[in-house]
Formats: sequence, C-alpha cells, structure tokens
Amino acid sequence: MSWSRRLRNLFRPEGLSHDIDREMAFHLSEKADELEARGMSRPDAEREARKRFGHRGTMRENTREVDVLGWLESLVADARYAFRALRANPGFTTVAVLSLGLGIGANTAIFSLVNAVILRALPIERSEELVRVVNTGGNGDFTNPIWEGLRDTPGMESYFAYGSTGFNLATGGEVRNASGAWVSGSMFPALRVRPVAGRLLEPSDDRRGCSGVAVVSEGFAAREFGGAANAVGQKVTLQGKPFELIGVVEPGFFGMEVGEQTAIYAPICSIQLVASEPNVLDRRSRWFLSVYGRRHPENGLEAEQALLKRVSPPIFAATIPPNWSPADQKEYETMLLTVQDAAGGFSGLRSTYKDALFVLLVVVATVLVIGCANVANLLLARAAARQHELAVRLAIGAGRWRLVRQMLTESLMLAFAGGIAGLLFARWASALLVRFFSTRRDAVFLDLTLDGRVLLFSIAAAFLTGLLFGLIPAWRASRVDPQSAMKAQGRGVTRGSRFALGRALVAGQVALSLVLIVAAGLLMGSFRKLVTMDPGFRREGVLLVSMNLANTGWPEPQRRATHRQILDRLRDMPGVKQAGASYTTPLSNSSWNDRIAVPGYAPSSGRDSTVMFNAVSEGWFATMGTDLVAGRDFGPADGTGAQVVVVNETLAKKFFPGESPLGRIVTVVTSDKPGPPMEVIGVVRDAKYQALREENQPTAYVPIDQGEWWGTWIEYQLRSDATPAALIPLVKSIAADMSPAITLEFNTFEEQVSASLRRPRLLATLSGFFAALALTLAVIGLYGTVAYGVARRRSEIGVRLALGAARGRVLRMVLADAGRLALVGIVAGVATALGTTRLLTSFLYGLTATDIRTLALSAVLLAGAAIAASLLPAWRAASLDPTETLREE
Amino acid sequence: MSSPRRNDILQGTLALLVLKSLASRGKLHGYAITAYIQHASEELLRVEEGSLYPALHRMEQDGLVKAEWGTSEKNRPARFYALTAAGKRRLAQEQEQWDRLTEGVRRVLQYA
Repeated sequence: MSWSRRLRNLFRPEGLSHDIDREMAFHLSEKADELEARGMSRPDAEREARKRFGHRGTMRENTREVDVLGWLESLVADARYAFRALRANPGFTTVAVLSLGLGIGANTAIFSLVNAVILRALPIERSEELVRVVNTGGNGDFTNPIWEGLRDTPGMESYFAYGSTGFNLATGGEVRNASGAWVSGSMFPALRVRPVAGRLLEPSDDRRGCSGVAVVSEGFAAREFGGAANAVGQKVTLQGKPFELIGVVEPGFFGMEVGEQTAIYAPICSIQLVASEPNVLDRRSRWFLSVYGRRHPENGLEAEQALLKRVSPPIFAATIPPNWSPADQKEYETMLLTVQDAAGGFSGLRSTYKDALFVLLVVVATVLVIGCANVANLLLARAAARQHELAVRLAIGAGRWRLVRQMLTESLMLAFAGGIAGLLFARWASALLVRFFSTRRDAVFLDLTLDGRVLLFSIAAAFLTGLLFGLIPAWRASRVDPQSAMKAQGRGVTRGSRFALGRALVAGQVALSLVLIVAAGLLMGSFRKLVTMDPGFRREGVLLVSMNLANTGWPEPQRRATHRQILDRLRDMPGVKQAGASYTTPLSNSSWNDRIAVPGYAPSSGRDSTVMFNAVSEGWFATMGTDLVAGRDFGPADGTGAQVVVVNETLAKKFFPGESPLGRIVTVVTSDKPGPPMEVIGVVRDAKYQALREENQPTAYVPIDQGEWWGTWIEYQLRSDATPAALIPLVKSIAADMSPAITLEFNTFEEQVSASLRRPRLLATLSGFFAALALTLAVIGLYGTVAYGVARRRSEIGVRLALGAARGRVLRMVLADAGRLALVGIVAGVATALGTTRLLTSFLYGLTATDIRTLALSAVLLAGAAIAASLLPAWRAASLDPTETLREE
Repeated sequence: MSSPRRNDILQGTLALLVLKSLASRGKLHGYAITAYIQHASEELLRVEEGSLYPALHRMEQDGLVKAEWGTSEKNRPARFYALTAAGKRRLAQEQEQWDRLTEGVRRVLQYA
C-alpha cells in the first residue's frame, strides 16, 4: 500500500471505513445472489447473507484495526478518552499544563533567540549560495582599494561590499542616529532584493565622483515620510550632507548584520561626499568593508575558493599600504583571499552571545526536566488512585499494551497542551528577552517570527517531555495485578516501589535545582562584583558629550581654538563641578593603542611594548574620579611646549620596575619615524579602559593639545552634583552659540558602564529567575511527596499516637524523613555542580567555578526550603486525631 | 455469532488457503476467495467472512497480497486481491510447514 494512501487513510478515517463498507456490501450482494439462485426470495436471501456474515460492526472494527495505520484511528478514540479523563480532573490538568507550559515556553523562548541570532539564514532568495570573503588569516575586513581591485577583476560580478556605519540625520544640534551601510552598487542585484518603491542601487550608482543617492528601509520610509511611495525623491541629511532617496527596499530585508535593522544604504563612492579630507576612497589602511558574493549554484565552495585564490596576488600587489614597515608590506603582499559560507550573514551579537545563549538553553532544559519530574509524580499518584479502574479494564480483557497506550496518550495530550501554552508564553517572553540585548542607544532588532524550526523545536520538546514523564507511570500502571487490585476494592493499595520511585524523582529534582542555584549564584555573584568593583573611576554623576565639528567646515586651527573656548564655558556652567575633554572615554568601544620605547626596557615582542593611550585635558582625571598618586596633572599650557605624559601604575610597574617614573622619557614607536621624547610628569591610579573585567592595562595619557590634532570630534565630560541630564539644555545652547552646524550626542557615564555589562546582566538575571523557578518546582515536588507519604501512613501514625507517642516525636519523624530525601538530593547536587560549573568559567568574574561560599549558601538555601516545604505536612501528621484515623480503618 | 460451527477453518490455515487460492486463480475478490475455497474443498471447508477480511487486510499490510478496486463479472465495484512476490515465497513456506504438520499428526494418530 502506498504511503500516500496510508496518509490519506490516516486523515480520512471515515473514508477508510467507507472503503471497507463498500467491500462488504459487495460481498453481501454476491452472497445474496447465490442464495437467490438457490431459490430464496431476494429479501430472505439478503437477510440470510447478512446473518452469515456475522456481526458487521465487530467485523468492520477487526478489519479496520489491522488496516494500515488503522491503529492511529483507535488513537483518536484513546485521545477522546484521555480528554474526558483530563477534563474530569481540572485541578491536576491545570497544574500539569501550566508547569509544562512554563517549561516548554522558556525553552522555546530561548531557542527562538538562538534561532534568530545563530541559526536562521538571511531572508533572501537562495541564501545558501552566499559566501563571505576572508583572507587566509580568517579576517574579513577589507579596504576600499582591495574591494575595487576585486570588483574590477573579470568574473567577480556577483561579489559586493558592505560596511556598517551610523548616519547622523541632523543638520546640527543633537545627533539623530540611524543605522546605515555603505554598499557597493552590485549588492542589491547580487542579493536579488527588490524595491517596494522607486529603484535600488545599481553598479552605475557606485562610481567615483558620484552624487549623493540612498535607498532606505520600509520602516524608515514609514517613520520619516509616512510611507514608501512618499519617500522616493525626498532629501535626507547624512553626516550633514544632502542625499536623495531613490528607492525603498522590500520589507523583511534588514541588511547583512543579524541584530541590526539597517535603515539607510548609500553607495561606497559617496563616502567622499561626507569626508573632511580628499581621496578617502584611496586610503589603503582603512579596513571597514566586508565582502560577500553569491557563488555559482553549480560551483561548490571549493571551486569558488580556488577562484579567489587565483585572483588575489595582483589585487594585493596593487594596494600595499605605503606607511607600513617593509616586513609588514611583504606579509601583506603574500595574503590570499578565500571564501566561507555566509548564509546567515554576520553578527556581532552572534559572537558575543553564542556561548551565553548555549548556557541559557542548558539552564531552561534543566528547568523543564525538573518540571517533568513533578508531572511524573502527579501521574504516578494518579495512576495509584486509578489502579482499581485499570484492574477492572484488565480483568475484562483489555490488553496491557492497550493500557500503556492509553496512559501515554494522556501524557502526550498533556504535553501538547503544555506545548501550546508554551508557544503563547514564548512569544511574549522572547520579545521581553530582546530588551536585555538592547540599550537606549543601541536597539537590537531580531526577527522572532515563529518559523518552522522553532515550531519543530517546541513540538519535539513537547513530545520528548510527554514521553519523559509519561513512560514510567504508564509502564507501572500496566503492571497492575488485577486480582489484588480488585480485592483492595479501590482502597488504593500502593506498592512501596511506586513510592520509592516518587522519592527518587524528588531527590533528582532537588539535585538539579541545586545545580541551577549554584550556577545562578556564581553568575549573580560575578555580576555583583562587576557592579560594585572599584574600576579606578567614579561612574556616577558624569554627563558625556560627544561634539562633532565636521559640518562647520572650519580649518584645524579654528577647531582647536573653539574646543578650548567650549571647555572653558562648560567649566563655568552652573552645577558643573569639574569638566574635561578627551579623545575617548572608558568602556566606550573606542580605544587607541601604540607601541612605546623606554630606555632600559627590552620588549620581548611588539605586543609586549604596546600600551593603551588616551589624550586628555587638564582636570580630566578629577572629572572621571581617577586619583593622581604621584607627580602632577596636566596644566592648560601642557601640550604646546615640551612633550609630557602621565602614566598609570601598571605602566609604571612594568616599564620602570622599582623606581619612580617621574622625569623619565617615553617615546611612541611608529614604523617610519620615532616620536618625540615625552617626559613622565605624573602617575595615576589604574582604571579600566575597554571592559570592567579586563586586567589593568598599561596606559599612557597625553595632553589633548599635544602633537597632531586628531580629528573633528571631541568628547567632553561634566561632573555635577545634580542629575547629569539636567545639564543637557545648557550644553546645547553653548554649542549652538559657537555654530549651529555642531552636532552633539549625550550619554551618562553610568549608562555607558551599564551598557558594557549587558551580557553578565542577562546571564545573572535569567539564571536567577530560572533557578528560582527550579527551586519552586522542587519545593512543590518535595511538599507533594512528603504530604503523600503522611497520607499513606495516616493509620500508622494514628496507632503510634494512640499508643502514646509524643506529637513532637511524630513531627520529628516526618521532618527527618523529608530531611533524608533532601540530603540525598543536596549531596548529589553538590557533586554534579562541582563537575559542571567549570563550563561557566569564561562568564565568571572575581570568583572561581567551585567557589565554596556560593556552593555552601546554595545548599543551605535549598535545605531551608526543603524544611519549609515539609513543615506543613509534618505538622498535620503531628496533629492527627488518633480516634478518627483508627475509625477509618 | 457465538454458536459453534463444524467446519471452522483451523486457526492459522486461513492465510495458507487464501494464498493458495490466489496462486491458482490469480486476481480474486473476497467473495470469490470464499467461493473458491468452498468449491475446491468440495464443501468441506467454509470460510468465515468475519475472519476473511481482517486476514486479507493484514496480509495486505504485510505485503503478501496487493489490492485494487475493479469491477466484478456482474459489474459491481469489488476489491481484487493478487499475490505479490513475497506472498509467493510465503505460500511455499506455509505449504511446507503444513505438509510437515499433517505428516506429523498422521504418524501420531497411527501409533495411538
């Protein structure tokens, strides 16, 4: 029988029955014909034929039972029975469905994040053909000259370049950021993305000397212009320069980076339009483009890799960065290109959160297992209560397999009801989770629509849980001995083994929840340490102001002079205690390092002589709260005369061990020319630079006005006693006084530090939440088992009390029993935790994976919860009325 | 249907009889199978309809026979069964087993 027919039968049981009916009708009429031929009247012949055929219904049932997948039809009957049984027991059903729903929902929510961040392919046609170009070292960043070399090589038409960027939409004043990308004209054709209005960028839009055109996302068009059709032909200002919108990209396409919703795409050639220097497209050391391609569908990855390798040498030979050392240049020339699969695009989010999401997936799976144990326990208790019913069914001839199937059907129905509840819960929870990834300044966009993979995951999770908690009770119920169970007249004779199994389940729950509590304790402890540590600066009360002077069009001397005036005016603002200016601020994702030379120090490698740098104004250390430990701070005159430098303690210890660095000379090493000597005039305390959890790095601070001026934008920091945000209006007006073309961006230092703690915060919060959930489930399981044990021993306890046992003794007896159970779980849990928390090492800060304090505290917490859970049943046992329990017998 | 019947077919031999009928007659519908068995056994055996169809469907599920809808001699729609290759092999096996069984039974009865 063909599969298609089997499937048809499965979904059309009435059709199957119809087939059988037809076959039987045929048989009956043939039989009647035969009888009629022997001389019977037609009606008599038909009646006789039917009689001989026997019971038609049974026969049909028998035939159907053996028919292919006919058993699935009887499954429908099982399901109907199970549904009635579950409806008859709403309390049990609600508790089971809710706990499964929470468990499956939590799993689905985390999985849909994993899916969106890691697994899902970009929403474009034939995404499996996408490849990303990397050099043989695995690096995927390229300069525009390299890209143009590749672009102009024949046969590379399906390749395109993409550089993520942020566009400022404001013409002056406070910055309005939009996420954007510089893209090559070949991108949209290669991706086969279509416009919903206007047209998309084409190779002819991306030629040197192009005018400013751009394509925007549908969301951006709706927000800014009220719709895609209105947006075409409009002008937008990007970094202060006008761009004309020529089209709107189809919805669903969010760019090449998962986690970003790219709003604006402009051709690479237009970088020159917003640049403050000439020939930026020719710069050979600005690595800002990633390069992708669509491989020929018939070519494998290997063929494409061979192609890239072949075209590499002339490209690199023509683009050697002139200011590199000869050794570096030689290495550069021998680089080769290759490609990797890139169906999923790229994602900073992915590399940051991959491991954390994996940890969370393990955590929620554990919570689900703990929840399953509760449902299994409930089912076991219910199976015990239903022993009589099962015994009757066995006695009247039901097969044992049939009973197992019946019980399993019930479990699976519960699981699927839980799965549906879980899906609803997950939709809400995963949206909530995305907020953990986002900050005010950096919104994360993830497409969390339910796709086949997530749906399959939930179904699989529901099915597995159904089997997990259903199999043992089902098997157990089928081993009912009809005779003894019937004799017991439904009084519920339970064999000890069912109880022992329940106890083992609870001990397992306690153990698993302890592991989760320890893990959560470690992650929360690490987060607490990160929040309360002394980072070498004071994060509260500082307003950060980024000022960009690029659109003013001022030459460098005027920019320098203006920056001085602004700093002075900021210092005079009411409410400002201290103010400073700098190249960058700690934990801002922007940093600067260079190699230094110190007479008497022989570096073991280039890396060994590399130190972090920052350029700061006088008063900067006081504003940030970084204390001076020796020497002096910069003065307003520093930077204009002899060169000076302030170093931190780590630098002093490393390069000037055992002596004072004050008065010593430090030079910056560059490949072409040695820098001027700088005299060390001060030493400051160590402060974190790129991350709170980093080791202190040797850091050198130079005066902000010293040496070459480094750009058009500058960071100001204002310390005040009041809320930092209250200073914003006045800062805006000071900037506008200087020039309305100055753009500004505000943040508080506290928020910047907090944003750098997104991942540890996510892990600490969620692991804490799930550990609490696990603890609750384990406590419920423990309570249930102890209460059940007391109920089972009612008469025994009654006899004890009647014979004069003290109530305190009964109380202790029950508590001790529960205590033993909890102890077994705790010991097993501690052992498991010691073996598994190592996996968390890379997420921990300031404590080890086997931190004894966390372990002890978790065990005590769990023991306390266990005692609390058993107190109520113990107290009930102790206050039993002996006469009443004895009368029940 | 609980009344005892004299010529009930021995449990397990029905499949053998059905396979044999299909082997000798080719494509047959259910009614023709009963008629054939009855006729070939010279009315000694009568196939119980209540077990024939479940047996046919089971054999179909096991791949011993294949079935398709067609029209009977009297132009009624009927389901025709035919032997598959696996069915032929099974028939040979069952026949051999049957021969051994009857031979064994015969010998026991001789000595008793």
